[in-house]
Amino acid sequence: MSMVELGGKQVEIDEDGFIQDPDVWDEAVALDLAKTEGVDALSDDHWKLVNYLRDYYLEYNMAPMIRKLCKQTGFSLKVVYDLFPSGPAKGACKVAGLPKPTGCV
Amino acid sequence: MDLITVTREEGLRFSVQLRGHVMTTDMSVAEGGKDGGPSPVEYLGVASGACLATMVQAYCDARGFVDGDVSVSLTLELVENPNRVSSIVLDVELPRDVPEGDREKLKKMALRMPVPATLRDGPKVDIEMF
Repeated sequence: MSMVELGGKQVEIDEDGFIQDPDVWDEAVALDLAKTEGVDALSDDHWKLVNYLRDYYLEYNMAPMIRKLCKQTGFSLKVVYDLFPSGPAKGACKVAGLPKPTGCV
Repeated sequence: MDLITVTREEGLRFSVQLRGHVMTTDMSVAEGGKDGGPSPVEYLGVASGACLATMVQAYCDARGFVDGDVSVSLTLELVENPNRVSSIVLDVELPRDVPEGDREKLKKMALRMPVPATLRDGPKVDIEMF
């Protein structure tokens, strides 16, 4: 764990850069997290994905399955990866302030 | 089925040989490898996508659907304890002239294609140590 400045405030992150307290997340934090994933600006489509993930997590305390994410946002897998090249779990979930996804490959 | 052999190159990087073809597998840096190739689990995704693409393309070729090629995008969803794939999510892009009826038919057929069907039914895994 370490403290870094995101969105103009000190935020605790884990070794992979995921924020530890979802409550500190705001749009400014998201913008800085996006930069760590190589996404320099967030378009309306980025926000659509991020806000869907965020809302889903706040309601169910977990990330949605990828197929559900695609169906609810109307984005194909290819579009999701175009928006967040590191993927929905490691990229989009990080930007949305969700916990680090489980599993490894 | 021809023999597949997996031999160590260095670290967690292995060479996979099959009928004169050579592939490489390695783990990501985060998992202790050097990312010298897809991980073994990623090859499971490769097999799924390639199987689907091949079978769907053959269907389209046989029926003369030629306005574009078949392509597949996919990703794996992973869970822990034990580490495993919980789902394989595949998007298949079809030639533009495939009618709606065939799209529905292909979706049903896809689950019966060799790799998806094998994964669904869970093959016996028989291991001996020498």
